[in-house]
Amino acid sequence: MVRLEHVTLRAGATILVNDVSLDVAGGSWCTIIGPNGAGKTSLVAAVAGLRPLSRGAVSIDGQRLDELPERARARLVAYVPQHPEIPAGMTVEEYVALGRVAFHGVMRAPAARDREAVTGVLERLELHGFRHRDGSSLSGGERQRMVLARTLAQATKVVVLDEPITGLDVRHQMDILELLKKEVAECGLTVIATLHDLTLAGLFTDRLVLLHRGEVVLDGSAYDVIRSSELAACYGTTLRVVNVDGNDVVVPVRGDTRR
Amino acid sequence: MVIIAVATVATLVVAVILGLVIGPTSISAQRILGDALSHLGIGHSTLASTQSSVVWQLRAPRMVLGLLAGAMLAVAGGTYQGVFRNPLADPYLLGVAAGAGLGATFAIVDIANAATIPTWTPLLAFAGAMVAVTLTWVIGGRSMRSTTSTLVLAGVAVSALFTSAQTFLQQQSSAQSIANVYIWLLGSLANASWHSVLIVLPYVVVCATVCVLAGRALDVMSVGDDEARSLGLSVRSVRLLVVAASSLGTAAIVSAVGLIGFVGIIVPHIVRLLVGTSYRRILPISVVFGAAFLVLADTVARTVMAPSELPLGVVTAVIGAPVFVLILSVRRMGNS
Repeated sequence: MVRLEHVTLRAGATILVNDVSLDVAGGSWCTIIGPNGAGKTSLVAAVAGLRPLSRGAVSIDGQRLDELPERARARLVAYVPQHPEIPAGMTVEEYVALGRVAFHGVMRAPAARDREAVTGVLERLELHGFRHRDGSSLSGGERQRMVLARTLAQATKVVVLDEPITGLDVRHQMDILELLKKEVAECGLTVIATLHDLTLAGLFTDRLVLLHRGEVVLDGSAYDVIRSSELAACYGTTLRVVNVDGNDVVVPVRGDTRR
Repeated sequence: MVIIAVATVATLVVAVILGLVIGPTSISAQRILGDALSHLGIGHSTLASTQSSVVWQLRAPRMVLGLLAGAMLAVAGGTYQGVFRNPLADPYLLGVAAGAGLGATFAIVDIANAATIPTWTPLLAFAGAMVAVTLTWVIGGRSMRSTTSTLVLAGVAVSALFTSAQTFLQQQSSAQSIANVYIWLLGSLANASWHSVLIVLPYVVVCATVCVLAGRALDVMSVGDDEARSLGLSVRSVRLLVVAASSLGTAAIVSAVGLIGFVGIIVPHIVRLLVGTSYRRILPISVVFGAAFLVLADTVARTVMAPSELPLGVVTAVIGAPVFVLILSVRRMGNS
């Protein structure tokens, strides 16, 4: 279980995240939603243990992240930023193998089990045919799949993703989210992500947390949160929920922008 | 990769042979080998004692110091390019050159109108280099959230400060002192001796080893600081270690041979074009290729206008730039 206790983040005098407390059950998917500047990116970076907290604590299965060395933390939680950097010239296989650094360290070559883990993930995500390609030359969808492969190679219980479908077309968005859903369902992975697309957030997620100005405004099931009046108020626009073949679709409505 | 490694080692062997054989007194490689074996009690030497002295007291220490300088500058350049994720980074980025320049100038202008460069110049150059890098780290690297760009900017500021102090000292000194400062600044292996080799050897061995061993960590750091940390790397510790090793090794070399430009930036780039972007391959090959490159450049520097010598930095640029352009063109043709 991932536990956030009174997490507060500041940048100088500005409060980015204010007193956020959450419990995310193991093997579930929690998505943080909210308008630009709500503090989503800062919050997920803190959940990954990458930001020093001004107050509070983040722990995974009872272990406080700020008390762990980097390698131990990297075995508990993996992180994908909004714009992952793909070094030019690094092959897909080399990039995915970076996910095993926490296991073999930087002074030793990958062991047989590390190579097996990389091969397994490449096959699972249908990237084996690309393994010798330059990762920076892949298309957006293939590239994001490669980043996900590196994250899964890290073999953590928890994965934190900041806007994992930014810049992808609809098919590739669905593709990436389906992959994650499968990992949650079949492998018990815990996913904490941020998403801007409210429809996809509602379709794939067990739980939505609405963040606004650094504070949790609403925390509940996707069904409840996307129908709430607080959602439209936070985004400052009118939103309607339309059900299409059993799927809730969140639609913005023109001409009634709230301030 | 294996072919390139073998070719690089072969280039090193050729450079070593040329470094010993070529000079005003022509001595064949076979006779030098015979003399070397005779010192081990195998066979008889055909070299006169003066020829033996030329080879083992003049050319050999010069060649070995060239190997050490080339290896250290090349691996430090490659390491800096990795740790700062900046292809324009060179070993002088954090103020080593400016610090060493100020230290050397201080030593040289201390004796006005001296005909030669004082013997304690390397010591003050080394001290100046270390003071400059430490100052850069204290200013730019003390914050936990400091970025590489903060460190680079601190290096620019410290370099500017030390260079202006050096310029002031030069302005206050005699024409002879200024000439001596420039002779030192342009870099040369002419004053090499076994003594200078023994002084820099431990620095180069330790620092170059640390840099080469950091190759895998630099590969991880190529995805950015946050991602590298999320992958389990202690980014700040690795950065401190490799910057310290690169700077210390470079300071030791600069104090012994002056400022030799271009090797630290061009050699890792040539190697990158040949072996790809992984620092696990770039750094060890840069050690060997940098060593060979500088010995070849020095052989050209001391023979092309003999008996006078060309500044070594000029030769490294004149040889290195066309080689780099050639490899770049071949690669582009290969990719198209």
